Amino acid sequence: MRTDELGHHYSRQFNEELETLRSNVLEMGGLVEEQLRRALRALVKGDSDLGEQVVEDDFRVNRMEVSIDEECSQIIARRQPTAGDLRLILTIIKTITDLERVGDEAEKIGFLSSRLASQDRPENRYKELKHLGRAVRDLLHRALDCLARLDAETALVVAREDALVDEEYESIMRQSITVMMEDPRTIGRVLDTLWVARALERIGDHAVNICEYVVYLVHGKDIRHLGDEDRVVEEIASNE
Amino acid sequence: MTRRAPWSLIVIRLLVATAAAIAAGLLFGHPALWVIGVLAAYLGWNLYHVVLLERWLTDRKSPHPRDAPGVWGRIYAGVGRLSAGGRDKKRRLNRVLKEFRKATSAMPDASVVLNGDNEIVWINDIATDYFGVTKSDRGRRIDYFLRDPGFVEYLRRGEFERPLAMLSPVDGDVKLSLRIIAYGEDQRLLLAKDVTRERRLEKIRRDFVGNASHELRSPLTVISGYLDSMDGDSGLPESWRDPVREMVAQATRMRGIIEDLLTLSRLEASQTPADEETVDVQGLAALIRKDALAARSLCAAIELEFESDATIRGAESELYSAFWNLVQNAAKYTPADGRIVIRWSTDESGGRFAVIDSGPGIPEEAIPRLTERFYRVDKGRDRAKGGTGLGLAIVKHVLQRHGATLDVDSELGAGSAFTCHFPPGRIQAPTRSAPATTEAG
Repeated sequence: MRTDELGHHYSRQFNEELETLRSNVLEMGGLVEEQLRRALRALVKGDSDLGEQVVEDDFRVNRMEVSIDEECSQIIARRQPTAGDLRLILTIIKTITDLERVGDEAEKIGFLSSRLASQDRPENRYKELKHLGRAVRDLLHRALDCLARLDAETALVVAREDALVDEEYESIMRQSITVMMEDPRTIGRVLDTLWVARALERIGDHAVNICEYVVYLVHGKDIRHLGDEDRVVEEIASNE
Repeated sequence: MTRRAPWSLIVIRLLVATAAAIAAGLLFGHPALWVIGVLAAYLGWNLYHVVLLERWLTDRKSPHPRDAPGVWGRIYAGVGRLSAGGRDKKRRLNRVLKEFRKATSAMPDASVVLNGDNEIVWINDIATDYFGVTKSDRGRRIDYFLRDPGFVEYLRRGEFERPLAMLSPVDGDVKLSLRIIAYGEDQRLLLAKDVTRERRLEKIRRDFVGNASHELRSPLTVISGYLDSMDGDSGLPESWRDPVREMVAQATRMRGIIEDLLTLSRLEASQTPADEETVDVQGLAALIRKDALAARSLCAAIELEFESDATIRGAESELYSAFWNLVQNAAKYTPADGRIVIRWSTDESGGRFAVIDSGPGIPEEAIPRLTERFYRVDKGRDRAKGGTGLGLAIVKHVLQRHGATLDVDSELGAGSAFTCHFPPGRIQAPTRSAPATTEAG
């Protein structure tokens, strides 16, 4: 264990508890990433079985959330953590909520994919959704990497990249409106794909939340709802 | 030149200096003052060199002390030799280390050294490309970065006999094959290879076999259709009867091969594990026995021995074709006066479906190759027995999909036993306890 991160307690057991907690959260993150990957694959390949399986497997994500939540409250009750440890526990409690939501969005994509699989596929085979999905997966992956490394600087960079995802979502929206106006028979299908895009956009937002929690964990600064990120970054840099 | 002992060097110099001081004292008066002065100068000279040596030892940047007369010269030379030797050794070690690093970095596979807590100790550059883990992540746990649930489970289980297939977390299009090798005390080496190309080639091969078999099926159906009607035609000249009958037999055999190839490619193509229906092994075995007896006019006696009435969770149609192939093989090689036993038993290590025959047995060197496609133990004899040469390959694939393994036990002249081991997770305890039944055929 790296001594610069968590291993600063006299109680070895406490160190281990915190370390286990963090590895459980990252494991849950891995599970959610996998769910998202499979849901997107189901969409692009038109594999309805895979989509249904994603829906079925969502319970595993939920189960992990409950068990990590339980561990956190156990630690709070028994150890009364303060300062950095308290921030770690708070960060974890919030992170798993976001991860669980990401799991729900992946479940939604899985469900929509299995429904879309039975319909005609558009000529471009959901190319733009595939692209958006890749960007969102990358965002989530890097957010979790930041949590693994406790890397607040990269977290700020990742959080800002969500703007690109939002832009792409907007463009899919505009495109879909055009398609629906041109051929009203596609409305049913296009609405479903819009829901998928919406779910992906939401996942991007959850990834940003996780990045913000990392900044909070490392620097003790809450940067949510500030807007003026540059100032915060400067301030954080000056604290270093 | 012989080397004088250091003490003689010191003592003689001191004596000479003192004697000179006394002589000067006698000449100019105040001998005691002269002696004190010379001794003080000698002490000062010594202290000066002590300071020089100390400064050079603590601060490597200051220059190497010059040559000095007497014992100090020898001390400087000795220290200089020591440090030069140390430098040489260090340079040599550095070179070896650099070369070792270069070699490991040049390895085409990603390699990560892990300690007992799965923390990263050392990685090479390719590991950064494949896993997105950087050198600054040393000391962090590997599963923080390789979060794929399959990998986490693999690491936790700690059974590393089989490599793990995984997608690269950096680039989802790259397929990796991971191996973990334990070595030393609590150290592990994680190796990952890019198998994207191999997997694609494999898929192309699989698709080719599947498509080719499919394409061959339709023309063959037409040919056998005509052959069948010719065979049944009473107006066929007598000289044509035998050739037509032979053609019908060969066409049937060819259809069998194509069907088996299609079954195999279907089994290979599906990635998901087998379905989980409840398969009644006793019923299945009884059915297979009936079918096997019906398929051959002259067949060895087939006995059923059930020591358990547990069921298997699996795909019934696949298990049927696997068991059918085993029984079919046994029936093919066992003479009509022989005996075939189908045995089903379970214990805590799982379930065993065994087909035991009293046939000619299989030479030991052939056993590992039995499940290869179109492998034949005895080239001449087997052709006459018919069969497609794909039966045991199908068995292997079906069992793989059920997490089961095939054990072959054989003795030349005494018979063979083919045993399918099913893991406990696939076995379902019977809901009712019935006495073991034995049915003779």
